[in-house]
Parts: sequence; C-alpha cells; structure tokens
Amino acid sequence: MSKVDAGMGAMLDAYLFESQTLLEQLDEILLRTEQAGTFTEDDINEIFRIMHTVKGSSAMMGFESLQQLSHKGEDMFFLIRENKIQDTSFVYDLVFRMSDLLKAEIDLIQAEGDYHPTDFSDIIKELEHGADVLAGKATLDGSTPANAEVDVSPSDSADAALVDTVSVDFDEDFTTVKIYFEHGIEMENLRAFLLLNKILEETEVADYFPKNVEDDPATSAYIAENGFRVTFVADDKETVTSVLRSALNIEKFEFVENPKEAIPEGGVKSLAVETPIEEIEQSVVPATKAEEKKVVEKPAASKTPPPAPSPIAGAPAKQSIISVNLAKLDQLHDIVGEIITTESMVISNPELEGLQLESFHKAARDLRKLTDELQDTVMSIRMVPLSGPFSKMNRIVRDMKKALNKDVELIIEGETTEVDKSIVDNLNDPLMHLVRNCMDHGIETSAEDRVANGKSAKAFIKLAAANASGEVIITITDDGKGIDPEKVLDKAERLGLLVKPRIDYSEREAQNLITMPGFSTNEQVTEYSGRGVGMDVVKQNIEKCGGTVLVESKLGLGTTFIIKIPLTLAIIDGMEIEVGGTIFTIPISMIKQSFKVTEDQIIRDTQRGEMIMIRGECYPIMRLHERFGIPSEVTNFEDGILLLVETENKSVCLFSDKLIGEQQVVVKPFPPYFSRYNIKGAGLSGCTIMGDGSIALIIDVANLIEN
Amino acid sequence: MTEAKALALSKKEAIKSSGKGAIRVEKESEITKVLTFLIGEQVYGIEIPYIIEIIGVPSITHVPCYEIPSFIKGIINVRSKVVPVVNVRACFGKEEIAYDERACTIIVAHEGVSVGLIVDEVLDVSSVSEKHLAKTPELNQVNNNKFIDYILEMSDGVKLVLDVQKLIFDHDVAY
Repeated sequence: MSKVDAGMGAMLDAYLFESQTLLEQLDEILLRTEQAGTFTEDDINEIFRIMHTVKGSSAMMGFESLQQLSHKGEDMFFLIRENKIQDTSFVYDLVFRMSDLLKAEIDLIQAEGDYHPTDFSDIIKELEHGADVLAGKATLDGSTPANAEVDVSPSDSADAALVDTVSVDFDEDFTTVKIYFEHGIEMENLRAFLLLNKILEETEVADYFPKNVEDDPATSAYIAENGFRVTFVADDKETVTSVLRSALNIEKFEFVENPKEAIPEGGVKSLAVETPIEEIEQSVVPATKAEEKKVVEKPAASKTPPPAPSPIAGAPAKQSIISVNLAKLDQLHDIVGEIITTESMVISNPELEGLQLESFHKAARDLRKLTDELQDTVMSIRMVPLSGPFSKMNRIVRDMKKALNKDVELIIEGETTEVDKSIVDNLNDPLMHLVRNCMDHGIETSAEDRVANGKSAKAFIKLAAANASGEVIITITDDGKGIDPEKVLDKAERLGLLVKPRIDYSEREAQNLITMPGFSTNEQVTEYSGRGVGMDVVKQNIEKCGGTVLVESKLGLGTTFIIKIPLTLAIIDGMEIEVGGTIFTIPISMIKQSFKVTEDQIIRDTQRGEMIMIRGECYPIMRLHERFGIPSEVTNFEDGILLLVETENKSVCLFSDKLIGEQQVVVKPFPPYFSRYNIKGAGLSGCTIMGDGSIALIIDVANLIEN
Repeated sequence: MTEAKALALSKKEAIKSSGKGAIRVEKESEITKVLTFLIGEQVYGIEIPYIIEIIGVPSITHVPCYEIPSFIKGIINVRSKVVPVVNVRACFGKEEIAYDERACTIIVAHEGVSVGLIVDEVLDVSSVSEKHLAKTPELNQVNNNKFIDYILEMSDGVKLVLDVQKLIFDHDVAY
C-alpha cells in the first residue's frame, strides 16, 4: 500500500513535521500540568487544539488510524473542558500512551518502505472508557453509576439565543467564510458590519450570521467567540480573500466548504467552530472528516520555539518564520564553503606575489569581511536550540520515576544553547541513554539510603548546556551513589578490558572504563538500561558528531557525564603541517603544543620506539613520514617539529617536517570512489582545498594514534 | 546527454548482436563519437558521453593508505571538487613513465562517480559508424582485455574502446 495518494507526497513532509512538533508540545503540556496537578483552561484549549489539528491533518492525508485515535483523544478533552472536570489524574497515563502510539505511528509513516496502519482498537476502547468515566457514565472499575444522566451539551455559548442557522439553501455556487477578529478588540459587531459592506462592494452576499450586527451590540460577544459567517458567490472567492487580507484587525479567516457541517447546532459535532481563537492560532491546516476548511491565517504569535518577534502594535506583522528543507541549507552551506576556498585562491594567488596592490588588498579585506559574515549567517541558520532534545528528557524522567519508584527532579539549564542541526539529531539517543543511566544506576534505589548518607530524599538530575570556546559542553549530573572505581576495575578485569596493570589506573581512568564496548556494571539487565551497549552507543554517537564523553564521579556524591561537541562540523580550525611534500591539516583542538627538540632529549626504548619527556610525562613519538609511508628528507628530530596531540585517553607526539600555519578549512569527504578502502583506518578523516588550490589531507588524530 | 548515450548504446547493442551472427549490413550511419588517446603505441577510445572534460596533469595529492592500489595516484582539485585520479598506464599493467607536456587527465563520470584518467596523449574525436566495428573475439576473457568494450578498425588503425563502467568500478583484478 502506498503511503499517500499521488500528489500528496510534497505535503507529507509538512504533515510529519507538524504532527511531530505538535505531539512534542502535547507531551510538554501534559508534563507541566501533571506537575502542577491541574489543567488551566489555556492548557486544555491548547491540548484540544493539538488533538484537533493532528486529527484534521491525518484525515486530510488519509491516515485513518491516526485520525480515529486522535479523535478519541480530542473527545476526552472535550469532556474535560465542557464539564470542568477537576480530577483528571487518571487521564495522564492514558493520554501519554496515546501520544506515544501516535508518535510511533508517525515514525512508521516516515520510515522507508511500505506503511501498514496499526490497529489502535485497544487504546481506542480505553480512551472511550476514559471518556465515559469523565462523563460520569462509568467509573474507573467499569461499573455504571446511578446518576448516569449528565448534561454533556455545551453550556457556555456566548448567548443562548444566538444560534447560527443557515437560512438559505446553499449549493456549490456559494462559499462560506468564517472571520475571526483579533482577540479583545471590542465592537466586533460594527467591525463585522463594515467588513460586510466592503464584501458587498465586491460580490453578492447570500447570507451572513449573526444578523443585525449594525444595531445589536449583543452580537459582539458571539462574533468574538464564534466568528462572523458570510456566505457569498463562490466565483468571487479570490476577491473576497484579498478584501479580508487587507482588512484590519482580523485574526484569521477560514473558508468552510460545507457550511451546514460547520455551523454550531449546540451539539458535540460543532467543536471546530466553538473552539476559541487561541486554539486555532497556529498556521495549521485543519480538516476534519466532512469539512474541508482552508485557514488563511493572518499573522498570529506563534507558540512554537523559536518565538516570532511580537507583531508591532496595530499593524499586522507578516509571518516571520518559514520552514526550509535541510537539504537546501546543506547546499547553501556547501556553496559558502566553496566561496571561502575560492576567495583565498584569489586573494593569496601566487601570481600576485611581490606586487604593490594597495586598492586590491583593501577590496580583498572588504570581501573577506563579507564572506565571514555570510558564513556566520549561514551557520546561524543551521543552529537550533538544545531545548528540543532536552525537553524530551522530561518525559523519560517522568516515566522512569513511576516505574522505578524513585523521587527525582530533572533540572534543565542552558537549553537555549544552540548547536548545528545535524549534531542535535545525533544527540537524542546519547542523552536518552545517559539520563536513563542516571535514573537507573546513578540514583539510589531507596530514599532511606539517601537520607542515611546525608542527602535529601528527593534526588536530582541536572541537564545543562553551555558554550565554551567553539564547543558546546553538555553535562548530565546526578547526586546519586557515584561510580565505584574498584567495582569498575573488578568488572573490567573479569571481562578482560584492561590494557595495563590494574594498579596503574587512576580513579578517573577507571571510571571512564564504563564507556568501553561491552561494559555494563549492573549485573541485572533492566528495562531501561544495562544492556551492556548503552554507554558504548553513547560514546559512538557522540564521536560520530566529532565530540567526546568524559565521566567524572565521586563515590557517594554523584556522577557527571561531560559531553563536548563542536558547534559545527564542516568548517574547522586546522594547523597545516608538511610531511615530505604532502600537506596535512590537524584540527587545532587536538593539538596541545608544538615544539622543537634536540636529539639528546629523545629516549629510545629497546624496540626502536622513540619517546620524549615533557613536564615529567613520557610521550611516544610517531614519525608521520613513516606512518604514512611518504619519503621525506627531514628525518632528524632537530630539523623537524613535534606536535603533542591528545585524544581522551592517549597522547602522542607527531613528528613532521614543518608547520605551515593555522587556517580555517572546509572539510570535504573523500570522493565516493575511495569508499571501498579503509582510509579512516589509515588516520585520515577527509580533505580540504587550500587557498592555492592544492589539497590538504585532514588527519583523524584518534584513528591515527590508536591503530 | 544521457538520452543520446542511451540511443547510441541501443544502436551499438543492435549492431553488436547482428555483427556476431549473420552477415553484417554495411551502413554509413554514425552511432557514436569516441575520444581517442594513446597509451604507449596503442590507440584507445572512450565514448564521448562519459567525458566531462580534459585537463592537463595537475598536482596530485597522494592519499597515504596502504589499501589503495598503486595505480590510483591520489586526488586532484577540479574547480573545488575533489576527484580521484587513475594512471591508465599503471592500471593496464604497463610501465609508468614521467608525465610530459602531452600527458592529459580525462575526467570521466559514470553513475555520479567522477574519476580522472591520466593518459599519455589525447588524439582526437572519431565518429564511429557501424562499418568500423571489428568482429571481436571473445573479449573479457583475457585479463588484459577486461576493460575493452569493443574494437574499431578504422583507416588509421585499430582502436580499442574502453568500458568506462568497468574502468571505474571494477578494478580489483586490474593487473
């Protein structure tokens, strides 16, 4: 079965994106309200809007199972809202489950391959039951209470006397539009009347509601709540649209293809129209089963992050956020990279050497300034705040808190820190694993243990992010029992993971052993972590985006995981070195120091290994020309230069012919032609085109010194 | 370009099959154009649709990885694109010679993969018509003929037209 009808393909991306965002919002609200213990009216309206939109757009895309499920969720919140039910505690688990299922289903749709709708009948039944409970028709244990007669009909319509009825028989020749004025604008009736006159200038109006807006101020409240309905000749839809667009103070307007469905009749069916304005505020395209509505939105403050600049008072602001395909951004990014390379090719062209070019250099400086700005702008476009992956942790902590029966508070700091989009995508899994680890292994099983150790009964996990010199540092801290280095060493010894005598391991080295593949200190495999792959996966994922993970732990006091990730991947600060005529680039962040040595400083061991002593520590020397098999005239240590490079667990001095200089370079992967060869294993991660058009090879320090 | 290529190929296929079986019908119709070049004394050809451009021999950055066969000389920068280069001489198991001023790099592309081919000398472009197609013995049997697609007998000599697909993707048994 194909996923969507032909022609809907382009919509699918937008649909998936929107639904995922909405469901994340839903989770956020649910978490917040659960903590607060009560729903505010705004919360319910917001949830209602989310469910409604998901339902509508799922129906539009033809995903029936999703539509049915979200419809049931919507029903439930309808009851909560209409009946002003206060005790809603049992709802949360149900709605969280529903939200998970919806998300899983959307992931299924997004995944490659055929899509087969999931059968949601079980959860739908539970939701129906939940709705019955809310309506008072049933109790949680399933019995029916005696006073089953509960008024479910909406009671808070603005004016009971005002019921919109369609007084004309419509056929396809007419179009109905619903107009909503800005919230709190007042004198809606007169505004409606003026607007009506404007529309009358353009076309023939068949019907409108409420009537006598001109002289009945009571209609104001109705219009504020339910909008102003105008039915006119369909052919003039476009002219009317432009009239409405140019009109002032209109929050939004929507076309209702089938007016009878959309008109409130005092029944449950009329949700769409009774929904207050805030609920339809976002630029969404709701469409329910029978009604196909088109919302043409006047700008409204968007509630999704990042927040839109607030509209200037009085003048309606234009929509200020657009969504862009990531592939296009990647392309833009590539072009900027090439411009930077080409720019250095022009400015440091060898043919210019020795010439007196005053104005050329001035122009070159200006150009460089602009390209720098261009690069910064493109980078900033790709930057997204960490609040997305961070807020997902709320949910994990909530679920695990219940399952593990631990009282834990999640503290989030610095979630506005921005990181390249491609990196954020790679962060979700590692963060999840680490938070689970803290919950499962870090925090003490019983509160009594904590109190006995002089800690508060309530544990905390802190998730913090901060910018630090071109890197983003994310820390995940718990105040749990900490990692016992002895236990780790015992385990590592048993598993044969130790590479040097046990006594040589420092406390920190021992604790970092837990990131070794196949290591898991918990003997018992639990639902959440401890499959023995967790920390390994964390490390791999972080390294995939160029970062590192460190563990710091104090036994009895807690553990901190420190993740360092680069702000961006594609442009790095590199140190260029020469080895036998070949230019290599080493990421500056890897270099601790570079220095000249004399022959007598070299220590030679029995196996022709060479080492050097720096500040009391002994480092092995790796001759790059030998490592890469490049013939070089510089073989005496006195003629070349040493670079001390450091990865998280190893430091080595690299011997090269000479340093050329520091340069920002655009990282290019090796051509696909080479993919069958293990270049990465040879210690090279990519290449870059230099100012003079030649190619430098980028050294992958970790692979170089570990293989 | 791809359409033209497909057309040329289909014609070529038709001719090949007819050439092998019954008596070949002489036709003057051109089926494709071939860029010819020299490796030593032998003239080789590559069909034009594969060719992106012809440049001199730029400075080549050697990629130090022991897994990479020696006939892959390294990578070059072609207008900010990193392209690998193959020495065709070495690829055919011939002795490598120093690049002189006539040596050229032919950039070919197939299925999105670009490769530069270093040849001794580029000659010209020949129009190939059906009558030039030589009766080919069982090609692809002998190792050395592995990269040869078909053979042309022209007034100025025999030309071996290379199979770019194999040249790019199939060089495990290159020697």
